Amino acid sequence: MTFLRRVPRRVIQLTCFVGAVVLVWPVLPWAIAPRSFVQASPFVALASSIATRSISLGVVFALIVAIASSFKKRWFCLYLCPTGFLLENASRTGLRKTRWWSKCPPVGRYVAIFTLVGAVAGYPVLLWMDPLCIFSSPFAVNKATNPISVILVCLGLGVLVGATFVFGMLWCVRICPLSGMQDMLFATRKALWTKLKASTAPQKFGVARRVFFAGAGGALLAVWARRLGAARFRKSDTLLRPPGAVPEDRFAGLCIRCNNCVHACPSKIIRPDTGHEAGLAGFGAPIIRYESDYKYCLETCNACTQVCPTGALTPLDLQQKNKYIIGEALVDNNLCLTALGKKECDACEHSCPYDAVKITWDEEQYIAYPVVNDKCTGCGACEVVCPTTPVRAIRVWTQKPS
Amino acid sequence: MRRSIAAGGLFAAGSLMPVSMLAGQAPGQSVTQSPIQTEDRVPATIVGSKVVQPRRELSVLQKTSILVVGGGPAGTAAAFSAKRLGVDVTLVERYGYLGGLATGGLVLGIFPLYDRDKKQVIFGIGEELMKKLDVLKFGIIDRNKAPVYPTIDAEAFKYVLADMLLDSGITAYLDCWGVDAIVDAKGAVKGAVFESKSGRQAILADIVIDASGDGDIYAAAGAAFEKVKTNIGLISRIGNIDEIDMAVGRGSEDPEHPATGKPGEGRPSKGRVNDLNGHAGNSTPAPHVNWLNMKGPVGDALDVADLTAMELKHRRGTWGNVEKLRQKPGNEQVYLAETAPQLGVRLSRLLDGVKKLTVQDIRSGAKFKDVIGYSGAYANAPEFQIPYGSLVPSKVENVLAAGRCISADFEVADITRLIPVCWVTGQAAGLAAALCIQDKCKPRNVSVTKLQNLLHQQGAYLG
Repeated sequence: MTFLRRVPRRVIQLTCFVGAVVLVWPVLPWAIAPRSFVQASPFVALASSIATRSISLGVVFALIVAIASSFKKRWFCLYLCPTGFLLENASRTGLRKTRWWSKCPPVGRYVAIFTLVGAVAGYPVLLWMDPLCIFSSPFAVNKATNPISVILVCLGLGVLVGATFVFGMLWCVRICPLSGMQDMLFATRKALWTKLKASTAPQKFGVARRVFFAGAGGALLAVWARRLGAARFRKSDTLLRPPGAVPEDRFAGLCIRCNNCVHACPSKIIRPDTGHEAGLAGFGAPIIRYESDYKYCLETCNACTQVCPTGALTPLDLQQKNKYIIGEALVDNNLCLTALGKKECDACEHSCPYDAVKITWDEEQYIAYPVVNDKCTGCGACEVVCPTTPVRAIRVWTQKPS
Repeated sequence: MRRSIAAGGLFAAGSLMPVSMLAGQAPGQSVTQSPIQTEDRVPATIVGSKVVQPRRELSVLQKTSILVVGGGPAGTAAAFSAKRLGVDVTLVERYGYLGGLATGGLVLGIFPLYDRDKKQVIFGIGEELMKKLDVLKFGIIDRNKAPVYPTIDAEAFKYVLADMLLDSGITAYLDCWGVDAIVDAKGAVKGAVFESKSGRQAILADIVIDASGDGDIYAAAGAAFEKVKTNIGLISRIGNIDEIDMAVGRGSEDPEHPATGKPGEGRPSKGRVNDLNGHAGNSTPAPHVNWLNMKGPVGDALDVADLTAMELKHRRGTWGNVEKLRQKPGNEQVYLAETAPQLGVRLSRLLDGVKKLTVQDIRSGAKFKDVIGYSGAYANAPEFQIPYGSLVPSKVENVLAAGRCISADFEVADITRLIPVCWVTGQAAGLAAALCIQDKCKPRNVSVTKLQNLLHQQGAYLG
């Protein structure tokens, strides 16, 4: 009997897992599939809606998941979650079979509260712990241009699978914020159902205290992180975010490191930050680097802005994206072949899709050098064709108010 | 009446003068004086408020199969390649040396030569010329070191071209400026008119290759063209340069000789040029000598006033820049070796050809059935094919364009104007003209297969 009941669940799980892979890959001719997949998590949908003060159509599925989970405890975890499916199998083949974690406190609920209160302050602190986001991230591996990026995009799922193999199902049962949120939904529904039957008052007081501390912690951390992010941005010269990025004080919090944008970029110019640019708070969040030859932010592409599940990258149509300022190109004339009279070079002028760079003749100094005008979006087309090595004469820098 | 008298007189003078000169000349002695004489030409006169030049008959200096107007990279490539098929070739050059902008313009960088994978895509005559420079001391540097482009020495290249021309059997006239086209009643080109110290003369030809750079001959013959204005500079060479800063010497895209100067302090300022480490140019085969490129302001290359202004201002500006360079510590001994004899005219006329090569062709990687060669990759443009149709005027017969004045839109012409690409279009035009003579056909009817076979035989790269 148990056997019969278990088989269909595993079939559903496997089907959902394959479905998830198909959505994230994405093999469908549906550009926003990776975004819709991550948005199916009620945790992501709710926290990002609160943080951005907007609701996207993608939350419909999350609503269905939320309602279903409030009637059947952890329905999503048991049947739909592809990360759960992976971890369940890792645990089954793993080293610890005992249910030792049952003594652990339900951390996931507090993570969820912590994050949701942070979201009210515009900075959903631990939203990156969402399992669908963690599942989506490694698919960006084919757009990783260096070993560090490969490690970063695979880090979340890798750590979870490894830890589950060693320690058993601790993550799913106790830490995962999505499961914690489902538990809370279930409990809330049940409490409403039974008309707020006062069952376990003393315990409730304990819960309320923890909820309060989690919420206060989330709010404080959110405020602190926003100030930190803004300060970082003011100081930085090389912090370039993908087009559509919300202001830097909120970006690192809204971004959940699903790496959908990394995965979507045909030029492979988006990569997860090692923390070098935006510090620990920005660890793993996407930055733009113009390093490969001829690979820049194409004037024919707005893919990254379409796949962000949380609104860290605002969805932009092509026209809007081509007006988004990623950064500003600045010229170091001490390196420029034209300014130094070394070569017949106007590579930057030739390659600019927006007519923003002009090799300009300076009658006074009797030399010519590139001058960048206000049409510059920082797409990097000039930087990637500039022939000087090892440092390029024209580079995109973080835009500063003039 | 008057015309025939004038013409008769001219012929008489032409035939008598050398005889009399030789008669009065003892061996080894130079003649400093000749009998007093007057020119038999009728000068221009003023009729009312207009200056009028009387009609006159021109002496025919030569009859030839192929006439190449212009002895720059395209013209010399055309003449050499055509002559190798055993056709009668005459070459006319405005200056006193061959090589055009590659020598007289001091455009010493042979660029763009490579595709995006750093593979050389321009061979044929150009490669032959560079091989001749290879064996000369101080002839060429940075050969086969992609992505660094070779740099040639102007004097070495003048020598190579003179040497080849003298042995080639090509009839050449230097210091001879093509000023007009000769067309028949149907408008087909039959030769060209020249001005030189020998006066105004005609050369009759079956096919004319316009390698004048400015398209002077096809324009005179009535072919349609687009006139463009772009920057006109003047290149110079400066000496005693490697004593100051070797880092500023070599091409900075060369990993072996990295960056030009030191990067400026942190974030560059917007717009204005910061304090330069040294406007010092790039090394040449000649030791201690750099060539110094100049972009120059936008000017009209077909306007003598613009050209004059540029010639004068650029020489003053270059002198000033060298003085500024000398003020930097360590640069005290830098001197201006020469300014180029020729202005760096980039583009003037662009032919309206059977095929206009467009920037869309390049971006889409267009392949042409009548491909005659490749241009190397430049900036965001990958290497691209050049079709034979871009050398053939859309209307006028018996004339082919070669060099910077071929049929291309402005952005493409900004690449096809460069030295190695001029070799490519020159060689193809020369061979196509030779085929016209051999097959007795018009340039637009040349067998593309035969042309491509000939190009292959002469070592050209067609992909």
